[in-house]
Amino acid sequence: MNEAVKAANVTGAEPIIDIEHLSISFFTRRGEIPAVMDFSCKVMPGEAMGIVGESGCGKSTVSLGIMRDLSNVGKIVGGRIKFKGKDMGELTEEELRSIRGNEIAMIYQEPMASLNPAMKIGQQLMEVPILHDKVSKEEAYRRALETVHAVKLPDPERMMRSYPHQLSGGQQQRIVIAMALLSKPALLLLDEPTTALDVTVEAGIVQLVKGLGKELGTSMIFVSHNLGLILETCDRITVMYSGEAVETGNIKDVFDRMRHPYTQGLFRSIPLPGADKNSRPLIAIPGQLPLPHERPKGCNFGPRCHHFVEGVCNADEIPMIPVEGHENHFSRCVRFNEIDWNALPEGAKEKKEPVRPGAPMLKVADLRKYYKVAANEIFGGAEPRTVKANETISFIAHESETIAIVGESGCGKSTLAKVLLGLETASSGTVTLGNKEIQSTGIEDRDVETVSSIQMVFQNPFDTLNPSHSVGSQIIRTLEKFNVGKTVAERRQRMLELLDLVKLPRAFAERMPRQLSGGQKQRIGVARAFAGNAKVVVADEPVSALDVSVQAAVTELLMDIQRKNKTTMLFISHDLSVVRYIADRVVVMYLGYIVEQGTTDQIFSPPYHPYTEALLSAIPIADTSVVKKHIVLDGDIPSAMNPPSGCPFQTRCRYKHLVPDNLCETQVPPVKELGGGHKSLCWLSDDVLAKMEPVIRFDANHVAQEGVPDDAPHGAGPGFAGEPPQRPHGKNASAPAGEFGEHAEEVEATIRASGHEHRDETSEPHAADDHSHVAPFREQEVGDGRQAVDPDVPSAFEPTEEENEEDAKKK
Amino acid sequence: MEYIGVPQIVLGVIASFWPVWLALAIVLGASIVYKKRLGLYGQLFDSGVGITGVAICFFWLFTAIFASTVAHFDPLAQVPVMKDALPGAIVPDGRGVYLFGGDKLARDVFSRMVYGSQIVLIIAPAATAFALMVGITLGLPAGYYGGRIDAVLSFLANLVLAFPVILLFYLLVTPGIMDTAIPYGLAGVFFLFPIIFFLTLFYTRFKGRPDRAYLLLGLTILIGGWIYAGLVFSADPLGIVSISPNQLNIFVAVVFASSPGVFRIVRGLVMDIKTRDYVAAAQTRGETPWYIMLWEILPNARGPLIVDACLRIGYTTILLGTLGYFGLGLAPESPDWGTAIKDASRLLRSFIHPALPPTIALMSFVLGLNLLADALREQSMKD
Repeated sequence: MNEAVKAANVTGAEPIIDIEHLSISFFTRRGEIPAVMDFSCKVMPGEAMGIVGESGCGKSTVSLGIMRDLSNVGKIVGGRIKFKGKDMGELTEEELRSIRGNEIAMIYQEPMASLNPAMKIGQQLMEVPILHDKVSKEEAYRRALETVHAVKLPDPERMMRSYPHQLSGGQQQRIVIAMALLSKPALLLLDEPTTALDVTVEAGIVQLVKGLGKELGTSMIFVSHNLGLILETCDRITVMYSGEAVETGNIKDVFDRMRHPYTQGLFRSIPLPGADKNSRPLIAIPGQLPLPHERPKGCNFGPRCHHFVEGVCNADEIPMIPVEGHENHFSRCVRFNEIDWNALPEGAKEKKEPVRPGAPMLKVADLRKYYKVAANEIFGGAEPRTVKANETISFIAHESETIAIVGESGCGKSTLAKVLLGLETASSGTVTLGNKEIQSTGIEDRDVETVSSIQMVFQNPFDTLNPSHSVGSQIIRTLEKFNVGKTVAERRQRMLELLDLVKLPRAFAERMPRQLSGGQKQRIGVARAFAGNAKVVVADEPVSALDVSVQAAVTELLMDIQRKNKTTMLFISHDLSVVRYIADRVVVMYLGYIVEQGTTDQIFSPPYHPYTEALLSAIPIADTSVVKKHIVLDGDIPSAMNPPSGCPFQTRCRYKHLVPDNLCETQVPPVKELGGGHKSLCWLSDDVLAKMEPVIRFDANHVAQEGVPDDAPHGAGPGFAGEPPQRPHGKNASAPAGEFGEHAEEVEATIRASGHEHRDETSEPHAADDHSHVAPFREQEVGDGRQAVDPDVPSAFEPTEEENEEDAKKK
Repeated sequence: MEYIGVPQIVLGVIASFWPVWLALAIVLGASIVYKKRLGLYGQLFDSGVGITGVAICFFWLFTAIFASTVAHFDPLAQVPVMKDALPGAIVPDGRGVYLFGGDKLARDVFSRMVYGSQIVLIIAPAATAFALMVGITLGLPAGYYGGRIDAVLSFLANLVLAFPVILLFYLLVTPGIMDTAIPYGLAGVFFLFPIIFFLTLFYTRFKGRPDRAYLLLGLTILIGGWIYAGLVFSADPLGIVSISPNQLNIFVAVVFASSPGVFRIVRGLVMDIKTRDYVAAAQTRGETPWYIMLWEILPNARGPLIVDACLRIGYTTILLGTLGYFGLGLAPESPDWGTAIKDASRLLRSFIHPALPPTIALMSFVLGLNLLADALREQSMKD
């Protein structure tokens, strides 16, 4: 992936975009809130720059700043953006308009939000050349059709005649990319372009974007929270933290030899291959992202850094310091030459005993759930149609075992959860909890004991708590429903204990949910699920909407409580890396069927089910030493309303030709026993399965530490190697404590659209022979993820009060 | 006849409102000082629109409260000489000045406008409150359960909405219908809703805590029953709560016409909110549907409902004016603004002054409510 860089880095080449010391502030009536400070980056022709960071770090603001589209409250207060040598600050509104969408194009997260639902795709695409190049309609149509071809959409003529809602999410995003490419832009800004899509669809889009960048020589700025995705698509990376770029450099340099503690913290908190919940737990970054007006003096990351030294790190504002021996590698850390990069943070503890699964707790046998879709309630009408949401689901979950249910949207995993919890009743089959059959008892008919013994943790932290009631009262209500405690005082006491359990200060009981960060809300969700001593907890993507460093903390918390209570956990996820890390056994679902199930090791090594193989390959892994087989599935997941005949996966399967008699298209395959409880729903014969290669391997020739050896001469010393940072308005807002710019938050919120940020990092089986060439961050031994203090990272603009931090510190 | 000049009229009007100014100054001053602690209401004072809206609404509220002090004359008293007197006419026996002149029955226009605010400010908010109760109690199950319940209730609501409103009012307040039991029957049904609403509200929440539940349920039945007896059967044992048949009719008509609107808003909001995870969380801990509707969903629908209530009070005010203009409902000598406009309109060509004050009063009050609703909407969007 680095060829393009090398070609572009030929001396004398003019950068496409050159950002120098950019500072952006939001001005609200309560004062100025700096969102981006002293941000510099250069993108050469054909180069792809990745900007990575957690929510609220200002990465989207940078991309909007480049477009000069900061709404009326955002303003560029310092620095310059030079596009092809021209200073964008000097351009008039009209000149800007001719650049936007023409020379710089932007692709947003939600494809549906970027398309006009009332216009046909063709018309929308044709607008671009008609507007910018003033061509005739026929010419515009020809160009549009060509681009739809280029983004590899099937049947382009039909696409051109469709309305956006008639396409799937992946197809919509391809149309948005086509629209951006129509004007042959010099620079493409992609703001989390695949976050709203399924992993297998994401893999297709990523491949497309990469290919197009190479073919057309378009420069790209790729904004994402996903390090793996950045590794797959970009040549260079900038890591942002609290409004500043903290580290920038070539992908390889930053991934293999990072020189900023925050970057290292990020890598340590994602479940890369090699992490394991028993022997090598994740390490979360302690503390919280500072609020814009409470940024500390000196290093912004200082208060959360293990290497913080009083008087050095907080002496003065820190410039970007070049890293010796690496081209264009800078870090905003004064101590990076003094830090022992292999040392683990304090509080890292010994290994944990693996949990031994106990007696079977939950048995699901041949479960089916069909929905009838009627045309009209009052007048009847068209024939009702049946949607088969779950087909022949069978598995057993034991005490204190973690079972992961994996699948993409529409695979029936949420329906399964609903049936287990009694929100829906099964059409046939049995669900046995303990020794009680509960498949046909709706939640209202279940007794308190059953209800409290199977509980759920929900996906979206912004939705899981009722915004109108205080945190404490919501937990107390749950206790009341579960008959825990006899008096109000007893329940209150129990509620406070639950807050302790999820490591939140007791003062949070009086808080309203909007005063909590996403991770804190999710902890309350966990507390609520465990309030009645649940025996089975269904966790529906509990961390997928959280920031990377918070994910680690919440995951560890969930497992800790599970370990303590011997709870059975059903962990629903689309993210195989977390699954690899957390699960004892894995169930892979596709279109209502369980296509494969077995222990984690069985699932993650061959033989695979063809779908599992594609799923594994689709996930971006943030590790330069990993070599993946690239399998990109054609098309989208079929609709459950209209499932394919025979095997549910046959429409996208690449092994179909190996099965005789067209069996795949005619009959549902039998469940094949592969030994040791490993089951697969596939027609493939044993010898084909035996020939399967692992999807993920470690590159034997990979040298993690290329560049400069560690004994290279150290830099000129801390703090003196670069120019002083240029921050026209300082880094703290003028707003008094406790008052925040809702405007800034609104801007951020619109960018992040709906708060659904699906995160996927990844992990694969850890090859036994790779210890010689591990990257520095993996040379650590054991780490205990749980720091004494680990409240989560809130959005920079989220109104958390001062006491919030104080509480955290007290703990 | 002697007259005072325009400046004296203006000064006289301003001076007459002295208790209103005083109360306004105290309330608004206190609100601005403590606005940080007053939640959404406090945030209204951040924008000019909000302050204007609140000020206008409070102005009419205090006018209604202090009507007897502000007005110089009895709204029904006639001073024969003053028939169609021009603004600023001095009453011969030195009892005062007809600041806005006299109407065709020689009553003081200014005093009638001031007393008219009392009628408007009692009926409009109360009728809106009942419409809200009816709309919410029916809208919640329609949105939550969907399916057949929703189909039936929505069909009925659409039926009422599709019926021409004026015709509906004519029907409801014509003497022929008024003599039948229909208005009382309808009132009996509508006034039952708040009692059902509060009983369900308290029962679902405190089912597990009998001590609280019995207390609250008992209080609801006691207070609700007392008001119900007074309003529907005119049988209040204490003789405090009563309503004239005319007003009851208007009340029923207004509730009947505006509750379908509330119903549809609530239904839509519930359909949106019921998909949230916290509703699913409540379901998975075994809450009853009515608990979820009343305690999990309804509090989160309050924003749009408050805005709608403000607009609806304004709408009801206009409706009362319209009814008054048609001579429906209230007694012919009633000083309410609609009736006053109707009376004045007959002589509009020769005397415009009796028509203007009630018109301006009506307009300004509705304007104030709309500004208030606008500001509320804007502020509630901010967090």
